[in-house]
Amino acid sequence: MNCKATINWQTIAILTGIGFFILSLCLQAQQDFRERAALTLQAASEDDERNLYVLTAKLVQGVDREATLEELLSFTDDHVMGGMFYAYQMIGTYLHTKDFLPDELRSEIHRAYRDRTMYRGDTENHWVMYYTGLYLAAQTWPGLDGSEWFNGKSSTENLIEAEGWLREWMHITITIGQGEFDSPTYLMTFLSPMLLLYEFAADPAMEKSARMILDYLFADYAVKNLRGNYGGGHSRDYPQDIINPLTAPSVPWAWLYFGEPDFIPWDNPMGEPRHSGWNIVFAALSSYRLPEIIYNIGTDRSTPYVLTETKRTRNIIRFAGQRNLPVYKYTYMTEDYVLGSLHGGILQPIQQHTWDVTYVSNKPNNTLFTLHPYYSGKELAMFFPEQKKFLADEVDRYHKVYTDPDKWNASSPYEQTMQYKNTIIVLYNIEPGANHPHIDGFFPKTLDDRIELDNRWIAARHGDVYIAFYPLKEYEWIEEEVNYRWSSYDLQNGVIVEVGRKLDYGSFDDFIKHFSAASVEVHITEETLRVIYKNRNDDILDFTYGGDRLVNDELVDFSDYGLFDSPYLQSERGSGIITIRYGNKKRILDFNKSTITEIE
Amino acid sequence: MNYILFRNFILPVSAFVLLIPFVLYANAGEEYTIYMSVLSSRHHQWDNIDNPVIGIFRSSDIGETWEHIGWRGYIRTFYTETGPDGTIWAACGNGVLRSGDNGKSFTITTGWEITEVLKVRVDPGSPGTVYAATAYGVFTSADYGQSWTEMNAGLPVLPFTSDLLIDQNDSSVLFAATEEGIYRSIDDGGIAWKPTGLKGMGIRVLVQHPQDASVLFAGTEDHGIFKSSDGGKTWEQRNSSLEHRTVYSIVINPVDPAILYAGTHGGGVYKTSDGGENWKQVVDGLTNFDVHSLVILPSDPGIIFAGTLNGGLFRSADGGESWEFNSQDGGQVWGLSVTAVQD
Repeated sequence: MNCKATINWQTIAILTGIGFFILSLCLQAQQDFRERAALTLQAASEDDERNLYVLTAKLVQGVDREATLEELLSFTDDHVMGGMFYAYQMIGTYLHTKDFLPDELRSEIHRAYRDRTMYRGDTENHWVMYYTGLYLAAQTWPGLDGSEWFNGKSSTENLIEAEGWLREWMHITITIGQGEFDSPTYLMTFLSPMLLLYEFAADPAMEKSARMILDYLFADYAVKNLRGNYGGGHSRDYPQDIINPLTAPSVPWAWLYFGEPDFIPWDNPMGEPRHSGWNIVFAALSSYRLPEIIYNIGTDRSTPYVLTETKRTRNIIRFAGQRNLPVYKYTYMTEDYVLGSLHGGILQPIQQHTWDVTYVSNKPNNTLFTLHPYYSGKELAMFFPEQKKFLADEVDRYHKVYTDPDKWNASSPYEQTMQYKNTIIVLYNIEPGANHPHIDGFFPKTLDDRIELDNRWIAARHGDVYIAFYPLKEYEWIEEEVNYRWSSYDLQNGVIVEVGRKLDYGSFDDFIKHFSAASVEVHITEETLRVIYKNRNDDILDFTYGGDRLVNDELVDFSDYGLFDSPYLQSERGSGIITIRYGNKKRILDFNKSTITEIE
Repeated sequence: MNYILFRNFILPVSAFVLLIPFVLYANAGEEYTIYMSVLSSRHHQWDNIDNPVIGIFRSSDIGETWEHIGWRGYIRTFYTETGPDGTIWAACGNGVLRSGDNGKSFTITTGWEITEVLKVRVDPGSPGTVYAATAYGVFTSADYGQSWTEMNAGLPVLPFTSDLLIDQNDSSVLFAATEEGIYRSIDDGGIAWKPTGLKGMGIRVLVQHPQDASVLFAGTEDHGIFKSSDGGKTWEQRNSSLEHRTVYSIVINPVDPAILYAGTHGGGVYKTSDGGENWKQVVDGLTNFDVHSLVILPSDPGIIFAGTLNGGLFRSADGGESWEFNSQDGGQVWGLSVTAVQD
């Protein structure tokens, strides 16, 4: 009895201690956010880059006031920024700094919304920026008729139109998923406008909706964050960011909200980022705080987990039977690496990144993946209204690498994946006559080991992360600046990749020994491309291109996938309810009722 | 008997036929304005939104000079057309734009529901009635764009529509050029649609014979040109000597409708002088063979303009036999239209 009482006291003491520890961590996290935000504003205000984020930071920090106001004035006649970027950035700057602006400058900013062309754009992120900007501008200058607005519509008409689309976008996003999902490049184009909407929407209902969609977007991001790396398959990404994940535009956001990676993003040791990252200025100024439950999900990697998700394709306008096809995602997260994939096929034009394994590293290029560098006018014409015979050339003008056989981003109709935890099979069944009929693999030079075994397995290692890579067909290596390009030229082709850790597999020698004896069952006929593979955990993956995916004889049925399914995020497709869990805590976003419920 | 036949039938008919050109040539005294829609340009600077090389241009002197009107920033201007009352309508990425002050200012008439507008057609008998062919199907407004209604019932699930044709004899009858064939409206104003041929083909353009409304021509992706002589019920391929089978544009000579021109992908301009039975390539002087848009000057049908994809605008003064570069070097001249100058 006494013993029991002692245990109870001890238990209570331990639990209390843990509780205080977690509380202190959370408070620390919020404090750290404030510190990082302050650091961001200070650094941005000292930068020479000419953009509205920097000007905003300078005005808020009181740096070079006169020169900054003059520069801001010049932006009212700006002829550089795309209309949708301008639409939300200028009103964001105005709303964050209006107390510092002279009346004349306020009037000039107002005038810009009358005189400047604002292209709405043709992508999801374009419309989010455009309509957020229009909403806040219309709210800021109410009661004006159409002659006072660039598009000839009155303030009321603009407000109603903008709200209509923003609500439509939120509804689609939380029921069938985002179209430009999980994009290290475009993440900020959703977060930044929504932070403005949360901060400045006068309508409490819109403010609440913005708060909830921010929770959704951050939770969606957090669950795939691995120490600042945006893990898994991506809808859209630029080649530089794919091959060097810790230089992606999402990195400053991970740093600001999760404190990861552990370096300051504008002093990035991994390489020169494509963007300065000052788009986090609006975030640094925002009163939105990441709920601790999302912070914990973003940073706690102590237990490996599987995340399955449904997203959607960008709007398809022709050559398909449906406007938005579902995209099925699978992500396996560990403390040391994340392996993730999209199910395959053309899901996004131009910039799709179907799968990779990305591992924690203090060296650049910490990722490995394969792709078929496909391109076609028909692919583009599925998504763009211009003429299909002309589109590839046209897209090459902007994206430079679309028709390049050596590109590192692509969607291919001839690529399909099957993943189960730490193992992925990627099959390619390339039609004769298809453009660039080969597959490429990215093997970074920063790997510690890359060893070709006698039985065709390739064993790679970075620190305590091991990667076994089995090509179905012959291949060659091409040495490039930061990587070895693995290339294979058979039309019916594929790879098996199994990832492991020292923790699970022992030494790298043991790993090599295991795969030196590992066998793969491959069936290739003209009609069939099938691989059966038993991994080291004795899980049997049986994958037929265009056919079934079986794990241990059980059919993988994508229709079972929810919007989210994982220990941390759950949502049934179409339900409009997202449940965020961590430990014994829950945060339920009910978009049908516009409620946020927290349960301990 | 022969004389009676001659006197009672042949003479009047001949006289009528001979008079047609003169009746039509009454247009010769009219002045016309040509509208050119430049979707993009090799000279468009992405780091400068104020580009006078894209958007809407017009010429009232047969292409001697061009005036830029409307927005100079990129909003993806596909096509511009003027209604009978002088209202200018533009089909753009941002929606359908309207100008009631001869191009001094434009208003976006559509909301977020309507985007990627490829063509806008104005009912010639009712200038407030407008139709928009879009990547998301067909929309109509009966009140000058104050409100818009979707009219996709009966169209394919993905109702991508490149072009619309309003029947010149009955403006309640519409034809839609979709990615899966031609559709005809089945109710007044095209409330709903039914397929009327070329199932499964991507239709790029539809035109109607100026004197015989039952004769229609369709330009397709990869399948060349089709002709219908029964108001779209049946279609026959008319590809003799047409080597390039993706046809973006067709125009008919209003004075001699046996003469047609077709703008093709890769083959420049083709011409027929026998109503589409035989085609010949007419590219002398053309330096870009991706011809996306064509327009004939009604007052002088020997003058034709050809808009190319990234090669700018070309003009022919001899019925297409030779071409001269006209303007917009490097421009993607997606759309061309012509309208009589308003009094």
